[in-house]
Amino acid sequence: MRAPRWIGLPVAAVVLVAGVIGVQLANGGGTYEPLKPSDPCAERTVTSRADGIDGLTERLVLLGINNAACTLGVTREALTLELAQTSTRTDAEIDALRAGLIEAVRQMKKDGSLPPASDLVDEALASANLNGLLERAIRLIPDSVIDSALKTDDVLERAIDDLDLRDLLANLDDQGDLERQVEAAVTEAVKDSLLDRLRNLI
Amino acid sequence: MRRAVAPLLAVTVAMVLADSAVVTLALPDILQNLDASVGQVAWVLIAYNLVLGVAAVPAAAAFARVQPRVFSAVGVAVFAGASAWCALADSIEVLIIARCVQAVGGALALIGCLEQLVEVRGERRGVATWVTAGVIGTAAGPVAGGLLTQAISWQAIFVVQVPFALLAVPAALSVASAPPQEADRHRPAVRANITLALMSAALTAALFLLVLLLVEGWGRSPATAAVTVSVVPIAALAAGPLVRLLRPPHDVVEVAVGCFLVAGGLAALAIPPSAHLAWTIAPQALVGLGLGLTVDRLTSQAMEMRLPRARHAGWTISARHVGVVVGLAILTPVFTADLQDAQEPAQEAITSLVLDAPLPPDDKIAVAQALGDALSDERGQVPDLHPAFASLDVDPRYRAATDQLERDLDSQLERAATWAFRDSFLIGAGIALLALLSSLRLRRRTS
Repeated sequence: MRAPRWIGLPVAAVVLVAGVIGVQLANGGGTYEPLKPSDPCAERTVTSRADGIDGLTERLVLLGINNAACTLGVTREALTLELAQTSTRTDAEIDALRAGLIEAVRQMKKDGSLPPASDLVDEALASANLNGLLERAIRLIPDSVIDSALKTDDVLERAIDDLDLRDLLANLDDQGDLERQVEAAVTEAVKDSLLDRLRNLI
Repeated sequence: MRRAVAPLLAVTVAMVLADSAVVTLALPDILQNLDASVGQVAWVLIAYNLVLGVAAVPAAAAFARVQPRVFSAVGVAVFAGASAWCALADSIEVLIIARCVQAVGGALALIGCLEQLVEVRGERRGVATWVTAGVIGTAAGPVAGGLLTQAISWQAIFVVQVPFALLAVPAALSVASAPPQEADRHRPAVRANITLALMSAALTAALFLLVLLLVEGWGRSPATAAVTVSVVPIAALAAGPLVRLLRPPHDVVEVAVGCFLVAGGLAALAIPPSAHLAWTIAPQALVGLGLGLTVDRLTSQAMEMRLPRARHAGWTISARHVGVVVGLAILTPVFTADLQDAQEPAQEAITSLVLDAPLPPDDKIAVAQALGDALSDERGQVPDLHPAFASLDVDPRYRAATDQLERDLDSQLERAATWAFRDSFLIGAGIALLALLSSLRLRRRTS
């Protein structure tokens, strides 16, 4: 017995609807959502398009925020937005950030991506605004002497300890102020590191 | 003049019903030009449908006491005058009031035009013309509104209605007929009207939400959105030949299949694989076919052989527009809340892309600052990131990477907006399935 002709209408509708929804789903329709942030506690490799101190700082900050986010149990994106958008930082955030940055230095030392101090001297001197004679004298010091006197990880860890992160984060919009604070902390760290070295020698 | 009467009355019916959704694509322009809030501007749409839904039944009751030609002419004239007032409105409050008056005129015009069309074309053809004009108007409203807004301005939507409506006034006056004297012989077709109301709510999801997704979510121009949503009326026209080919034995089959197609189309609109306009074509074709199979059949069922005709027309108009308002009332809070909820994942996705962008740190910081400003100016809408990138001064070596970042960020916003509309489209599909269940109990009146 032949099915009546009108059955074609509901059958065509079912085929059309199943076909359209099937094609949408087969092409990823069910998963067309915003990018999901990755787990901050998973190992992350970071790169930078910049060389020297800028590149080093960027990689440190990216790893440091990632480590801090892992400690705080949030995504690194949520923490970045929190730090950028609100003016009050909790003690937990500051502590996590400091620990995260120090952990980042250790990670970079471990994977060999931390440059020797001699690699950074020229750039540091160019921006240090030192007396010309002193600057020339420092430039004459052989790289091996600098590298044995100053360990990059030691200087960075001291600088991170010295930094007033709360004050630093309050001035994110002021690039000049930011650089002044970082420079002061790094200079202090270099001085402390050298003194420590001298004390050990004596 | 006699020959032009029926077309002019049909155009008036189409305009009144097109006005139910005609401003959808103009809402962003109205919001900006009249310095309104999102909540206020939604009332430009809601007020018209609410007043039309509420006024239709009393208007039909009043019809029996007035000369039909006077009733129709007054209705069309009020509609024309209020349309001109809408175009001249210089504040959102005035526009909303003018839209209310326009809806009152529209309610009178719809009831009056039905009787005039029956007078001119006879019972069956007159009602069919009225129903068809309504379906075309409903489906074509957003398209016409979008094209006019893009080509001229939002005011043009209302200005173009005035000459047609003014020509319809003498047309209505030229049809002499006595006030109908029929007593209330039939009860309202409750089931058909409920199904019609549910379908109107579902179709609101299709037309209103899709237009918003295209313009606000995917950043397309009103004209592009208008051309895109023209698939719905074109597909609606294809429903007739399909029915003639397959000859279903009962209206119930057509209506049930139509409801199913609308539900399927809305479900498909909830899951596009990307923000490419092509992915909306097939779902819209399903919705259009469904609209073509249901709205005129349900309207005919609710009115066919029921007297007084005007009273039953009043119920169908009321059902349609109350359905639109209920649809807006259900869907608007859902998608606005979802859009709000989508901000966080969108911002995190944007942050992730900026942090990992292959750009020097200074450029990343500049991008982040520009984006921060753009995001804080969003006023509850999906932000336009292009001005932030256009003002960036980056090293030419990194221009390509910056352009790629802009495309990736736009893609994240499109993903977030699409995601935010998903629940609303699925709710619309659910309402269409409710209409399907309701339609299965429809029976053709035989007496």
